[in-house]
Amino acid sequence: MASPRSNLHQESTNTEQIITEFFAKCLHIILESRSPCAYSRNYSGEQTQSSPSSSSSSSSSFRPRDKWLNLALRDCVVDVILVRGPVDCDPVRCSPRRGLVKNLSVEELFPNFWNSGHEECLLEEKSEKIIERWVIQYKNQKSRDFTSGSKRSGGTSSKSLYKKSIVLLRSLYLTVRLLPAHKLFRDLNKSGQIHTYTLSHRVSSSVEPFNRREEEEMRPFNRTEVDTSCGRLCLSVLYRPTLSDLSLEPSTPISPQFIPDYVGSPMTDPLKRFPSLPLAGMVAHGSPSSFPFSRRHSWGYDIYKASQPSVSPSPSPTYSDSRALLSNLGSHRLPPVSLPRHPHETPSSSNVSLCHQYNTSFDEYWPSPIFSPSSSPSPPTHIPSSHPSNALLRCDSAPVSIPAARFGRSPGLPNNHIVPLAPFSKSSRPSSSQTDNSRALLRPGNIQTSVPVRKFSLGKDEVGNLPGAKISSNSSPQISISRSSSRLSFLEAFDDSEFPCPFAVDYDDIRDMHTRYVIQLVAYFVCLMSISEWVSLAVPDPYIYSGFDREPSRYENASDNRQGVTEC
Amino acid sequence: MNCEVCHLKELEVEHFEIREVLRWLRCFRIAPLILLGNLYKSFSSSSYASGLLCLQFRCYNVIYFLPEPTMLKLDAGILHSIVFHRALGPVRPKDVDSELFEITYVQCGDSNLEKKIEEKIDHFIGWVEKHPNKKSQVYSLLLPKLFSNKIERLYWEHWYVNLNVAQPPKAPSRKSHHSKVVVDPGESALEERNVRRTALEVSLREVLFQIIKFVNEKKDHIPPIPNLEGVSFPYEITIPSSSDSSFGMDMIKRMLQTGRPTMLS
Repeated sequence: MASPRSNLHQESTNTEQIITEFFAKCLHIILESRSPCAYSRNYSGEQTQSSPSSSSSSSSSFRPRDKWLNLALRDCVVDVILVRGPVDCDPVRCSPRRGLVKNLSVEELFPNFWNSGHEECLLEEKSEKIIERWVIQYKNQKSRDFTSGSKRSGGTSSKSLYKKSIVLLRSLYLTVRLLPAHKLFRDLNKSGQIHTYTLSHRVSSSVEPFNRREEEEMRPFNRTEVDTSCGRLCLSVLYRPTLSDLSLEPSTPISPQFIPDYVGSPMTDPLKRFPSLPLAGMVAHGSPSSFPFSRRHSWGYDIYKASQPSVSPSPSPTYSDSRALLSNLGSHRLPPVSLPRHPHETPSSSNVSLCHQYNTSFDEYWPSPIFSPSSSPSPPTHIPSSHPSNALLRCDSAPVSIPAARFGRSPGLPNNHIVPLAPFSKSSRPSSSQTDNSRALLRPGNIQTSVPVRKFSLGKDEVGNLPGAKISSNSSPQISISRSSSRLSFLEAFDDSEFPCPFAVDYDDIRDMHTRYVIQLVAYFVCLMSISEWVSLAVPDPYIYSGFDREPSRYENASDNRQGVTEC
Repeated sequence: MNCEVCHLKELEVEHFEIREVLRWLRCFRIAPLILLGNLYKSFSSSSYASGLLCLQFRCYNVIYFLPEPTMLKLDAGILHSIVFHRALGPVRPKDVDSELFEITYVQCGDSNLEKKIEEKIDHFIGWVEKHPNKKSQVYSLLLPKLFSNKIERLYWEHWYVNLNVAQPPKAPSRKSHHSKVVVDPGESALEERNVRRTALEVSLREVLFQIIKFVNEKKDHIPPIPNLEGVSFPYEITIPSSSDSSFGMDMIKRMLQTGRPTMLS
């Protein structure tokens, strides 16, 4: 027969375990409802459950951890994201602790990561404002204040504690969805809007007191205490009741802008001499040195001859290249270029992942791809899922990869088709360098890598028929600049025979290889215009890129896009 | 022990909003209730280790002057809120964004429960349509099953949801007596509706905050949680039937049928 002492010890152990699980679930609930783009909604039926052997109903197959406190939550994934900002900026840090955590403070921060007044992609300002503070405390009996709760006899048994913890957790789950910050969370997860803010969080084990001003702005709610045999569990929240004074209105996406001085393929010398368009600001005639910027592509440098301009890219973020779709090359920008909605083809299998990355990046970084030389040829390895507000204004020189999959694969495309931008040409000789180049081509933001387009080959005759070469009104309706008349200007620039097109081909001066590359460049250029339209029409779905669970419909849409993009 | 009365703010909502609010309030143990009188039942049961089990009538004096669509929305939200707070078995919560309000409520993820609630709401809607401008009551009863040979209904908690469905305001006549005044009934009605809805949302949120607080204040009367998924406790949702002609009659009938709970020693 168990001794009272062993029972007490067992009771204490059970209580500590309940408290630990409670802490973990509270943190989980708070974070999943305040971390934009990190969690999918509607957990039911999304995850495949590993059915633990249980005597309970086998229909739902709750995992053991789901059964704790009878609240099944989604998987908790915490991204550690580097946020550029001032020196003293505090990137998101999360140090979840498990075990006998006595105090846990979760603060929902409200950092303003973006200064919309700047075109640069660097984070000029960063301000944080705490809009919620969740405090989960467990005070052991030793440190417990006996004056307030000493009258209660014996505290709560572990069974009763478990029951009350369940109720408390249910209330917490609903409370986080009632507070004003949840609206921000929902808005951030909505697509099609650009926000100048995001939600961040900071988990700490100590509570930093608010200053007087902050304290006046915060309001407590629902401080709940549960006495246990060993202490007291307390859950409280301070929240900012009004967020309207923080200027959180989402803004419409900025107009897609066209990089005027798109360098194009390094394989083509004439590309260096493209003049500046009236609106696009494309570089006019001149030596390569007249380029306003130079490219620094290791993969293209060898191909370029001495006249190859060293195009200096516009400031590029240190962020992943996959995000560097938009660049700001000088002050010349074109309005957005609309892209075709529906891809025509799928790329080869070798381009699947890259096109997906491209697709991902476009969805994230619409409104427009901006032609610019890429500052870094390395393909993106990860597409961060946070801070969508940074996406569109990450205007560096990273080129935009052209999803050749979306456009005609084979040569001899009809005029109403977008010229494919497949990184591979059927007739090209496969080589590792070309493969790398093609991969670089499909890398988001790296549109210049038009070089070895294996699956795409255009003959001379096709050049004239290329909708990209002569972007006329009868080109694919998918090519359109939806927002302004700059398309017409752009088209006019191409139509203007006296205006040397950057992709213009001088058949007399270039070799066969260069001819093909030039043709491909023109095609890519056209496709880029179409891509911008396509991106504008695509519904950015952060869930696609975060890799988290998501509704099947969303996943299917992403698959369709990806399928289309990868067609070459 | 007297009933606890919480005077909440009166809400004016449209009829089509009822369903949504009721759905949303399902998450909580709420409900606007009508005070039928102080009624307190207490009994002890040997099957409960906690000892005395108190049945409390949670009384909230909330009267919804609701246009029919709003009321229907409110019904669903309230019921889901109640059940979520009382379905203490393992659940996979499901967030549902309100169609009419900037509020997210939670469902238990139990399809059977949702279906049943929707059926009840539909019946309630039908009743409201047949009895316009009449106070209606939707209440859910939560009752445990005694672990004995004889199944007795012991209500350990009652929730009453009272709704007062108002007829939508008549559209102003297009003919204005003042020729100079240009009357646009469409825009004015829409604007009025938006204002009313915004006010309702704010009030509803306040009510829910208050209810959450109240829910956490009283936990001792909750019986031990059975090892069942989802809605672990039996529950019952009762709506006024078409034959009910008087307000609260159904409740009185139930009280008479249930009788006084026996004191288990």
